[in-house]
Amino acid sequence: MVSLTLNGRLVDVEAPEDKPLLWALREDAGLLGPKYGCGIAECGACRVLVDGQSTPSCVTSLGAVAGRTVVTVEGLAAPDGTLSAVQQAWIDEQAPQCGYCQPGFLVAATALLERVPDPTDAEIDAAITNICRCGTYPRIRRAIHRAAALRAEG
Amino acid sequence: MTKLLSRRTFLLTGAALGGTALVAALGGLGYLATVDVDGLGGFVDGDDAVMNAFVTLHDDGRVVVKVPRTEMGQGIHTGLAMLVAEEMDIPFDERISVEHPVELLPVYAHWAQMLGVRPEEPQGPVTWIGRRLISSIPLITTGASASTLNLWHPMRVAGAAARHMLLAAGAARLGVPVAELTTSDAAVHHAASGRSIPYADLARQAAVLAPPDRPALKPRSEWRIIGRSQRRVDIPAKVKGEPVFGIDVVLPDMLHASIRHAPVFGTRVVRIANEAEVRAEPDVLDVAIIEDRSVAVVARSWWQAETAAARLDVEWSASEADAVSSDALDARLADALEGGEPYIHVEDGDVGAALAVDGARVVQATYVAPLVAHACMESMNATVVLRPGGRAEAWVPSQSISLTRWAVFRGMGWAGVDPAEVVSHITMNGGAFGRRTETEVVAEAAFLAARHPGRPVKLLWPREEDIGRAMYRSHARAGLTAVLGADGLPAAWDALVAAQSLMQSIGSRTLPITPSPDGDRLTAEGLEKPYYALPARRVRSVHVPSHVPIGLWRSNGFSFNTFFAESFVDECAAAAETDPVDYRRALLARSPRHLAVIERVAALSGWGAPMAAGRSRGIAMEHCFESIVAVVAEVIVTGDGEVRVPRVFCAVDVGTVVNPDAVVAQMEGGILFGLTTALISRVTLSDGRIEQSNFHDFTMPRLANAPEVVVEIVPSELPPGGAGEPGVAPIAAAVGNAIFAATGTRPRSLPLALAETTGAGRLRTVLAAEAG
Repeated sequence: MVSLTLNGRLVDVEAPEDKPLLWALREDAGLLGPKYGCGIAECGACRVLVDGQSTPSCVTSLGAVAGRTVVTVEGLAAPDGTLSAVQQAWIDEQAPQCGYCQPGFLVAATALLERVPDPTDAEIDAAITNICRCGTYPRIRRAIHRAAALRAEG
Repeated sequence: MTKLLSRRTFLLTGAALGGTALVAALGGLGYLATVDVDGLGGFVDGDDAVMNAFVTLHDDGRVVVKVPRTEMGQGIHTGLAMLVAEEMDIPFDERISVEHPVELLPVYAHWAQMLGVRPEEPQGPVTWIGRRLISSIPLITTGASASTLNLWHPMRVAGAAARHMLLAAGAARLGVPVAELTTSDAAVHHAASGRSIPYADLARQAAVLAPPDRPALKPRSEWRIIGRSQRRVDIPAKVKGEPVFGIDVVLPDMLHASIRHAPVFGTRVVRIANEAEVRAEPDVLDVAIIEDRSVAVVARSWWQAETAAARLDVEWSASEADAVSSDALDARLADALEGGEPYIHVEDGDVGAALAVDGARVVQATYVAPLVAHACMESMNATVVLRPGGRAEAWVPSQSISLTRWAVFRGMGWAGVDPAEVVSHITMNGGAFGRRTETEVVAEAAFLAARHPGRPVKLLWPREEDIGRAMYRSHARAGLTAVLGADGLPAAWDALVAAQSLMQSIGSRTLPITPSPDGDRLTAEGLEKPYYALPARRVRSVHVPSHVPIGLWRSNGFSFNTFFAESFVDECAAAAETDPVDYRRALLARSPRHLAVIERVAALSGWGAPMAAGRSRGIAMEHCFESIVAVVAEVIVTGDGEVRVPRVFCAVDVGTVVNPDAVVAQMEGGILFGLTTALISRVTLSDGRIEQSNFHDFTMPRLANAPEVVVEIVPSELPPGGAGEPGVAPIAAAVGNAIFAATGTRPRSLPLALAETTGAGRLRTVLAAEAG
């Protein structure tokens, strides 16, 4: 059993410490937002925030996040359901196609904007290495800029 | 279940026509007599006012549109719901939701595209019979970029019929003639008395009225929704991370399974050397050999199932294919081009005579394309349960509810169980690209479910099975020859392609009789260029079998043949010392619709304007899936051979546009999908096995590699064509042509570049040394 703060709540996850965080989230914590894409930290579909850092949960063990703060895509919106600026920008740009990889992109973009509030294209390209097979990259770039503007408006 | 049966019974009866019975007699299919292919009748079912097979109204104002097509990111749920909303005068807002229906109704069948007709066109007796046969199965699939083409008419008719019934109910309620009523904002209005009744208040009365025979459709001039970009109905759930995909299905008492398939396709399980050991792994419930072709491990969690599956030590049978390598397969293609017996798809004019002319200016080239994988982001999965009484239920991210259902029967049959009934649920698909028309994962899950009756089993393939043990876009090799006339244009065009027949490979997996590869149009599509003025033309293909399974792959034969043919047009233009756009203008002199698309993309891209140093442009076009796409790619080739594609311009004529932003998104997506494949995608074989297994060796471009894509829709009032696949077809040739413009070296071999990893999640694309 591992205790951590998950999407703002202190929880005990009943699973072995060496279980990948991705599968502990999906199978033991009931959070299906983080997705399995590759299992080898290549695609980013499983990314979650660990203490604010975008982290591939498929190669992070549950034990490694004991006592830390984990946020999944389900935790990006406010408790009242208001979408985050990044989520709203994703809708405004109609960014997703199949949508399977998008939880990982949303998490990676959220981490980027915390660190760099108004990133350039080059900064976006350098920071976001997730894979999308549908070809939504141009819209994702636009959505990140839009999210930066939304956050700046406050 | 009661609801399902009542609805099905209602919709399947009622139109038992004498003619249908005749078809039934001819086809030996008695149940055809009960098939209603129109499905416009309604009924009240609990809280639902089911207006017809496509639309249900609720008391609280919600409108549920049944869209019998798979949402895989193309926006089809939104586009088809827009058609219903348009005809019903319902604003396209959050009151509208979309569901893939569970029922397999004849009215949902994918018949028009399969018969090569448009549903709105007058139909002869052959179409009438064909429609009833396909509808009786019924074959419901999402593919061939044909969903809008197929349902564009029926779904507007369904909306118009529902509106008609609501008007009739409103007239009865208000005691006025229908002619005095109007509809807007999901309500019936009587202007003379200032009274209005929301649809929600009329729905129950309206649903039981007789549907109109041929409801009139709105004229184009009155459209308020069609042709105006609407936000996709599936996106909010996707950005919230809601569990909408097949992999997200969670059911009480569910078991999880992972799997290993034969490393060499077609080989069989001889034995599992360590079965007892694997069974002893924590929480493992079962180790199962499926049809001698794969070994699955069932456990209480997928992580446990996969951990145990990774320990499996399986001995596979030996096979002749054990020695096959990519080079050997390519040599077979080359031999077939030289000495095969081609099937002739097209022969217009005397190509042989033109080639035989002494001193004829002949252009000749040979091109190559490799095997490629689909690599959908959501790996293959299916969840199946066998309930008491032989009732099976499945939840699958699939492109076909019909094929899913048959696969459940097949998989249960392998386990010796005969389900009396199968109910299938189609979830959102995390990518599809043709891959999810294949249903082996469903059959495997059904086999496992039959071994654990009463407990749902979710089978998920690990990524390594998805890339290394799946099915692929065929490799191909083509020889093209043209004789140039005095004007520099081809007087004769001769194309010969060697590839593995897709239809034969699919048929060998799914049909009792393997179809002949001869005449497989999917092998040769893209070589004919019927819209170019070519006085003599011949298109031939040779089928080259292999042990590798070939599957449907976004744009199929166009994905390689358009690269071959549009590169070759560029070679002819170069031989004639003519600008590639001018050359195509001359070829399109009698094809004004195509010419308009070329002109649009030339203007959009600034074709002819000087480029910054190191940049070049290339153009290519295709007419496929009833749409015309032309693209211009801008390419940068640096001194050390790095090739980048910073911008792509696209003009597209898809006929009438339903949801413009969705068409733009499909062009963007198709172009990026095709660009990835053109630049870096290939799988290779060694010792009969696919060598690639995951995204570290079947690499994908990242944001840093992605071009800006500028799309312009060319207005048209023709009926709609497809949008999902056309964008894929021309981009490879456009990039190849731009590389030629930059370097003077003609690339004739896909992929055009190699991916060099430059750090975690970073790659650059470098031109391959050889050029075909």
